[in-house]
Amino acid sequence: MNYVPGTASLIDDIDKKHLVLLRDGRTLIGYLRSIDQFANLVFHQTVERIHVGKKFGDIPRGIFIVRGENVVLLGEMDVDKPCDTILQQVSIEEILEEQRLQQQAKQETEKVKMQVLKDRGLSIPKADNLDEY
Amino acid sequence: MHAPMMPRSPISRQPLTPRQHFNQTAGFIFPPNRSCPSTPRPLTPKMMQLRFGANSPRPSPFYSPSTNLVQPFSYTGPVTQLHPQHKRLLSQKRRLFQRKSEAWDPYCNLMTAKEKEWITRLQMIQLQSENPYLEDYYYQEYYRRLEAKMAEEELGIRSKKEPPKLTTPYITKTDVYAPVVHIEGSLGQVAVSTCYSPRRAISAVHAVQSHRLEEQKDTRQQRLEILSKIEKLFIALLEVEETERMKTTVLSEAEERRLVEKAQRKVEHIYSQLQLHNSPDSGAEFLPFLSVSKGKTLLARLLPFLKKDSALKILQIIASNLPTLMSRDTEEALPVLYPSLQKVIGGLTFSQLIDVLKDLTSSESLSTYECLPLACQNKFGLTLLYALLSHGEKLLSSGVPLEPSIGDFETWTDVIFQVAGQLSQCSLVEPLLLPSNLLTLFCRYLDKRTVHQLKSNLESATGCLALPS
Repeated sequence: MNYVPGTASLIDDIDKKHLVLLRDGRTLIGYLRSIDQFANLVFHQTVERIHVGKKFGDIPRGIFIVRGENVVLLGEMDVDKPCDTILQQVSIEEILEEQRLQQQAKQETEKVKMQVLKDRGLSIPKADNLDEY
Repeated sequence: MHAPMMPRSPISRQPLTPRQHFNQTAGFIFPPNRSCPSTPRPLTPKMMQLRFGANSPRPSPFYSPSTNLVQPFSYTGPVTQLHPQHKRLLSQKRRLFQRKSEAWDPYCNLMTAKEKEWITRLQMIQLQSENPYLEDYYYQEYYRRLEAKMAEEELGIRSKKEPPKLTTPYITKTDVYAPVVHIEGSLGQVAVSTCYSPRRAISAVHAVQSHRLEEQKDTRQQRLEILSKIEKLFIALLEVEETERMKTTVLSEAEERRLVEKAQRKVEHIYSQLQLHNSPDSGAEFLPFLSVSKGKTLLARLLPFLKKDSALKILQIIASNLPTLMSRDTEEALPVLYPSLQKVIGGLTFSQLIDVLKDLTSSESLSTYECLPLACQNKFGLTLLYALLSHGEKLLSSGVPLEPSIGDFETWTDVIFQVAGQLSQCSLVEPLLLPSNLLTLFCRYLDKRTVHQLKSNLESATGCLALPS
């Protein structure tokens, strides 16, 4: 039911369940309730889904307003399709713990790498998690 | 005639059934009995599917009603209005969809149809252009070919009757709005994003200059004008200097002559440009340029190339406007003129020298008693004065016939006395150059005591000994 057939419009996505990936790496799932011309999004019953390995955990977040420029990708989710065929849902505490461990391990390897580079007289500036313009 | 197009939603003569709307993925089917009033041909299912299905191309609002087969999205008037057909269908859809949705989603329709329409309209505005074939080539071409193919396939006979397509611009993209807003008192500009230009670049130069005092605007404008003029003239001057350098290389006679002529023409051009700023002979010809330090540099470098009388004119202007120049010289750039001027002075005849001295001592509305002290307090002014006096002394003592005009000698002695009086009284700044024959000059006219006083004053200013007579 495209109001403007042939164009890309979010109007058709209103009131449907979506998954959005943000620029800071977060994954949100929620019902898209409202949009505007800049593709700012209003999500309802939002859940932040954290993935670590094959496990994932959902943190309920309520209502989210996302500024359009921070969206990497956005897609409709099929409500009927099961989502836990390969992935295993765990509790929030567990997933947060897993995430913490993952971050820690990452930092360790990063530290070792930097030290090795430093010893060889190289210094590669670390790109931040956020985009740099 | 209307065979079912899609497996899930058959076309019927009745208005759209609710069933058809529940299919989120199916495209919207244009009911055949509600064809566009201006459509010359009936819509075929295939065409409609392509037009309105999920895979349909973007609508073209630029075809005029008489030629377009289907134009549900044509907008007329200055404000984007949805086609009446479109409006009807939307309201229909809305009604039916609402009935269905509320059953299972209590939060749905937070966004009203009006808001959805508004966004759609905004998006459509951004799509509009005056020359769609240029800006939206691929879509237009695709659409055109599709229609041609359709026409050919299904209505082969009628293809020759197809009228030429017209593209009428619906809305000229208005440029009247202010994309940037200048807030009073702020340094920069704020970009206002509108649907016409969501991200407008802000120009670095102030485009809007309102609410400014007229005088301020004028002086600023003038200054900018002068600066830009100086830039252009500098380029010409650099070329002249380049030619001068090239003279040292081996060139044929003809080439050299040509080069010299070209350089001379450039010099004359620069000179006339500098002069033309004000009315000639007003006495203020070169002043605007001289007030700017870059202009001073320009003139200093230009002087060696100028003919004698042009150079003399500049010297006269400087001498007669010395107080003004000195007061405006905030960057202390005047000394840059000194070397070139010194050479000019060195070539003066006695009469010319006297004229210049007269200009210097009685410039504008100030009397001698006001001019001289001012000059003494300024490095450049004082040095200029010294240079003039020194040259006079040189001429007098050289023995060359001077050919003075009437009253020259009187003026000369007057000036000497005045200067001597000033120099001995007021504190002097250190000049750029202290000519060695100054005291000789003063000795000739003044008594020993005054000379002695002068000498000590000069020496205290410079910190070095003025050579004795």
